[in-house]
Amino acid sequence: MTDILTVENLDITFKGRQRHQRVRAVDGVGFSVAKGETFGVIGESGSGKSTLGRCVVCLTRPSAGSVRHFGKDPFALSARDLRQHRRSFQIIFQDPNAALDPRMTILESVREPLDVAGFGSPGERRRRALAMLDRVTLAPELAQRYPHEISGGQKQRANIARALVLEPKLIVCDEVVAALDVSIQADMLNLFADLQREFDLTYLFISHDLRVVAHVSDRVAVMYFGKLVELGPAGAVMAAPLHPYTQALLSAEPEPVPARLRNKQRIILKGEIPSALAPPSGCRFHTRCPMARPDCAQREPEWRELAPGRFVACHFADAGAAVAAAPAAG
Amino acid sequence: MERSGVSVAGSGNSHGAAQAPAQPKPLLSVRDLCVSFHDGERWQQMLKDVSFDVKAGEIVGIVGESGCGKSLSALSILGLLPRRGCARTGQILFEGRDLVPLGEAAMRKVRGRHIGMIFQEPMSALDPVFTVGDQITETVRTHFPASRREARERAVEALAAVGIPSPRNCVDMYPMSLSGGMRQRVMIAMALVCEPRLLIADEPTTALDVTIQAQIMDLLVELSTRTGTALLFITHNLGLVAESCARMLTMYAGQVVEDGPVDDILSRPLHPYTAGLLGSLPQQRHRKSKLPSIPGRVPSAHDMPAGCRFNPRCGYVQPPCREPQALIAHGDRHVRCWRNEALTLPGAAT
Repeated sequence: MTDILTVENLDITFKGRQRHQRVRAVDGVGFSVAKGETFGVIGESGSGKSTLGRCVVCLTRPSAGSVRHFGKDPFALSARDLRQHRRSFQIIFQDPNAALDPRMTILESVREPLDVAGFGSPGERRRRALAMLDRVTLAPELAQRYPHEISGGQKQRANIARALVLEPKLIVCDEVVAALDVSIQADMLNLFADLQREFDLTYLFISHDLRVVAHVSDRVAVMYFGKLVELGPAGAVMAAPLHPYTQALLSAEPEPVPARLRNKQRIILKGEIPSALAPPSGCRFHTRCPMARPDCAQREPEWRELAPGRFVACHFADAGAAVAAAPAAG
Repeated sequence: MERSGVSVAGSGNSHGAAQAPAQPKPLLSVRDLCVSFHDGERWQQMLKDVSFDVKAGEIVGIVGESGCGKSLSALSILGLLPRRGCARTGQILFEGRDLVPLGEAAMRKVRGRHIGMIFQEPMSALDPVFTVGDQITETVRTHFPASRREARERAVEALAAVGIPSPRNCVDMYPMSLSGGMRQRVMIAMALVCEPRLLIADEPTTALDVTIQAQIMDLLVELSTRTGTALLFITHNLGLVAESCARMLTMYAGQVVEDGPVDDILSRPLHPYTAGLLGSLPQQRHRKSKLPSIPGRVPSAHDMPAGCRFNPRCGYVQPPCREPQALIAHGDRHVRCWRNEALTLPGAAT
């Protein structure tokens, strides 16, 4: 079966402020996502994860490499066909406020994609929009309200309804729970899981929150500075991360448990994320890596499959060591 | 109810509290603090009977969801509430002196000097048109009779103390040319340059990436331990509290609902809201499972439920929960739930 999404050698560069300056937001990224899967992308700010998400739904053009939906290149479509095609590939953004038009009621916002798509009669669009609001458990009396009259969690539900109303196949979820309080975040993650089963959805779930990504994803990819550094099944990556960056991320994640249950070794990374205009040579992570050797500044690490389904870009990553580290990281 | 505006002369210096050697007086003692805002029509109570202590050198966390009154408590302690349409009652005893009746002039001598503060977004707390050095120097010269040169030296030392790589260069930089983590370090340097006894940090790492967050938290804890500065740390992140604080308070709808040593609360929370917060965090062992969540949402000030403010969302509710709940003491813990002894709530480890 063809994968719903295939990304190969993807490069996305932006013009810098000065002439001839180029910022490589995404650099040689490749992976594929199977239908019905939740594929998590973890990274800090500036890692290129949102740019990747935007490119997957054709909001940003790749500079090189390809994005394929069911094996076909959406960027080769005519503008008209692309509009049609896009319905199946939706994106939900982080800030629920910014994504809703303040002058439209919730119902109007949810109905808008149907209007644009010219779907059925006005009455039928309204019915579908209302049904979708009901599905994301927004009370019907909220349909006539404006965004400023409802809470952040409710707004995010409206955004989900808006993305779902055209029955997409894949949804890119870009930091969708970052702006929400924990109890509402839990509700929202449950809703995403229910909707996935019900509508047979595929998610590309982008977040900086390791805990959230690990919870929802089947497989996770870790991005650093425009490149993938690790990819593998979520449980395995969390239990025994192979790349030093993933290890540092995991160890930096504060755990809400009493001290006696905390057995991990804290790795505090020195320094900051380097400037995008002057990426480090060799391995991009070598400036902050606790295990860096002189070699790392020269040679760029290869993307290797260390164990079945487990990829890593580090010269010194070792499957045996990862397994040994597993109990401590659990 | 209004702030009197009359400056009460500080009764000398009550620092060391030489009388009681066994139980030293807390550095900060907030007693029955109530804060109300006037919305144009009526008064709305945002904080109700908030009471807690911070001992000298102690690190205390305040957790709760947005709108629970965490930040408002911090602003009240700092006397940063608007003057009009806002009323404070109760006591805020700092080193034995009540800050509530102090006027702005007297408060200015306390704020920044004895109580430092750090906010969430360092860019909006720093002035973009002055260099880092100008801003730290200003703080020093406001509170100490230091010359420009001396103040600048202190600024450089303060920047070095927060781990800024080349402090002598950083002094002359503008905030916009620093990264988020560096800006937050500058904020910490500015807050600590006058060696305050208490530092209030309101979500100091929320705008930062997780690896930078770890650096900043380590720095705050290390500085607090080294200088003996007490830290009142406000966050929604229970993990950060677990790893850095000795004691924590849970706030809900403008009240303190639980207060005690962090490890005790995490192992066995006494209030259903604390247990609910802990339960709704995704856990690795239960990947892909349904997350327990707290139904409903935080009530707004104008339709506060009668009795226990958490009762409409609580899974353990019984008829007596419709009565107002007092903060009940249990050794070194406090909880605002009459059923606390009957309930065995799941902690973080289960």
